[in-house]
Amino acid sequence: MNNFIEKNILPLVTKPITYLGNEVNAVHKIPNPEMIRYAFAFPDTYEVGMSHLGMKILYGLLNEQADIWCERVFAPWVDMEEQLRHHDLALYGLESMMPLHEYDFVGFTLQYEMSFSNILNMLALGKISLRSASRKEDEPFVMAGGPCAYNPEPLADFIDLFVIGEAEEVILKIMAAHRAWKKTGGNRHDFLKMAAQIEGVYVPAFYTVSYDQSTGVITDFTPIVSEAPATIRKQFIEDLDQAYFPDKIVVSYTETVHDRISYEIFRGCGRGCRFCQAGMIYRPTREKTLTTIQSKIKALIKATGYDEVSLSSLSTGDYSEIEALIKNLVCDDETGKVSISLPSLRIDSLSIEMLEEIQKVRKAGLTLAPEAGTQRMRDVINKGVTEENLIDTVKTAFEKGWGHVKLYFMIGLPGETLEDIEGIADLGQKVVDAYYKIDRESRNKSLKVVLSASSFVPKPFTPFQWMGQNSPEEFKNKQRHLKASIKERKISYSWQDSGVSYLEAVFARGDRRLGLVLEKAHQLGCRFDGWGEYFDLQKWSEAFESAGIDPDFYALRNRDFDEILPWDFIDTGVTKEFLKAEAEKAEAALTTPFCPENCSNCGMMEFKKGWKCNG
Amino acid sequence: MVKIQYQFKRTTALRFLSHLDQQRLFQRAFRRADIPVEYSQGFNPHPRMSFALAMSVGLTSDSEYGEVIVSEDIDVAAFISRMNQVLPGGLEITSAKICGEKAISLSASLCKSVYRIRITVVAGTDLKALSQIIDMYLEQPQILMLKRNKKGKFVEKDIRPFIESISVFADPEKDKCNVIMTLRYIEQQCVKPEQVLESINNQNSQLFLIDPTIEIHRQELLLEADA
Repeated sequence: MNNFIEKNILPLVTKPITYLGNEVNAVHKIPNPEMIRYAFAFPDTYEVGMSHLGMKILYGLLNEQADIWCERVFAPWVDMEEQLRHHDLALYGLESMMPLHEYDFVGFTLQYEMSFSNILNMLALGKISLRSASRKEDEPFVMAGGPCAYNPEPLADFIDLFVIGEAEEVILKIMAAHRAWKKTGGNRHDFLKMAAQIEGVYVPAFYTVSYDQSTGVITDFTPIVSEAPATIRKQFIEDLDQAYFPDKIVVSYTETVHDRISYEIFRGCGRGCRFCQAGMIYRPTREKTLTTIQSKIKALIKATGYDEVSLSSLSTGDYSEIEALIKNLVCDDETGKVSISLPSLRIDSLSIEMLEEIQKVRKAGLTLAPEAGTQRMRDVINKGVTEENLIDTVKTAFEKGWGHVKLYFMIGLPGETLEDIEGIADLGQKVVDAYYKIDRESRNKSLKVVLSASSFVPKPFTPFQWMGQNSPEEFKNKQRHLKASIKERKISYSWQDSGVSYLEAVFARGDRRLGLVLEKAHQLGCRFDGWGEYFDLQKWSEAFESAGIDPDFYALRNRDFDEILPWDFIDTGVTKEFLKAEAEKAEAALTTPFCPENCSNCGMMEFKKGWKCNG
Repeated sequence: MVKIQYQFKRTTALRFLSHLDQQRLFQRAFRRADIPVEYSQGFNPHPRMSFALAMSVGLTSDSEYGEVIVSEDIDVAAFISRMNQVLPGGLEITSAKICGEKAISLSASLCKSVYRIRITVVAGTDLKALSQIIDMYLEQPQILMLKRNKKGKFVEKDIRPFIESISVFADPEKDKCNVIMTLRYIEQQCVKPEQVLESINNQNSQLFLIDPTIEIHRQELLLEADA
């Protein structure tokens, strides 16, 4: 423990206990000069980051290696940042409290674009040179991975190496390369060349990009060293059942966003919703077996003392043996005190039956995501849910005593008309009607239907990656129209978009020219852009202006199918041909079946030799 | 069903826990240690455990009390060793005893707290003079202070009965001093040590610099049975 920080700084900040790294199951090692020091960095607050499953996996995995010490670092809250700056102290890794710039690696996980400004701020607070090009020999290698690494280009100036895809195997290869490199006494450049040869690793400094002078689109993207491959293949774990998963996870003292054990039951999703990036990049679908899940959960409960387990995945109800799993977990719980939660359930009455089984106590709100208001629109996005499914589901829920239903929608989907917007209000009305059809005696006394509509952000590696986002004005008009279409008192409507989704659209599909914008925004003090109270669109506009970059080019422009996209050099296994075909089917409102029902040849089958996709 | 009362210590490593954090921590520790905690009945069952006092953020202590109701007989020594194996560094159970279910509740048996406080004093403060000021302060039969009542209103209250003794000691650091203060609980009410220091400040010129860097340590917590 650092005495000065403990005595003079922590008493002055909120949640001081989150800056000490002394939680149950936190890993402390005795450092030696040969040890690889790795700081796993989550570019948001402790409460958000500690809810993230990927960090728990990699933290456990790296710390299993005797010669690696992986520690955690989060974005310090503004009061802590002020104290660190005031005392000229560097941001530190929680466990050893060592300044960030002294680590061998600082590895960021990229969960959402709105955390990019926090990455720059954390590097600055950690006293690490912002730009890779200006980093000195003794500075850490700055890595990044996670879903937003599938378009790494906006961060290309700041990150030394990216991991594309699932990191469990490739991160150990990078560590092995580091051990070998240390023995050679080589320089930074030498290590990056070694890393670039590991499949799934992208070193942005080894590529050059040229642009069309008049249109601004990319004309060429080429490696400039022989070690760097022209295409980066995403990595995925073939056998998820046997893949590493920790037996112990760090238990936070303070309440985190998801304050429970989160256990991943399968990876990938075969539904093929066209707006969903996760559904494309995490293919193929891979399940864990019942026995693995049950025994791991048992061990985790024992090691943590948590009394709640969440079965996580992209669509939990799609697990092939979900009913057996829930039944077994309920049986395993001898004390009857462990509760199970099922996030990401599909809209069908079976899901409600399952919820009923596990939620024996109180009926909290039910959240469902039809995503769009009309059948035509749901077909466009390939959300395989009908109005009948939804009404059946809420009917079952109301019968079982639920009274609070929240429905999630997106607006600004491709080809959307005002009729589709009105459909959202209509659907809300039909949910209310379904409630009144239930016998007064058996239904919940109070009804509340919340419609929540978010602004759609087109993402890379989805069939909608070529479309322009709706302009902020279009969004505003649609929101107004939706609000005016709601007549029912029992329906409340929530909407929030202060320009965040526009900025998200810029960075989601941006290229490396945005590095300058990020740097300027950082200089202007941008951080915590995902937190309403700190998001400042004015500052961002200023940053774009001074960098001489038009954000509309990235957010609003429709791209041609043959344009070179900034992320084209990455091969996710799902082919561009498939995405194009899906985009065309979307235009015709034609649906694509769920993978297990019928393979649509997305490309995954041919991606890896010997790999057999089970849908 | 058995009620276990235990005494525990909290050191610097965990002094920033909030009361809620600490409750959650003990709940999870009981589960890790396989202590069969009883749950309350009703729609929202919760583990039957409580603490004699809510510890404020920043407080360290050699003497805190908690109690828990367990569903089966458990050996006290096993309880202590199993708990200490799973508690994080910074919390340690020092003793425990089994008591009848009808035993008087911990909060009703509170008697005295002895605090050691390390605090910054105004530059040039002379320890002897400070000692005299405090003696004079304590000679008053009544010490009125504005305190918030249960309804949130400020009312003037005599805090003198809550104070048993105060003494000051030097500290290796020149601008700091140590205060030992014994405070009494009367009908489960008390006064906080920093409020007493504030009251001393109010009656004189400012002597103590009361800010979040104050270090407050409870050396002893006496219950009715001990007193």
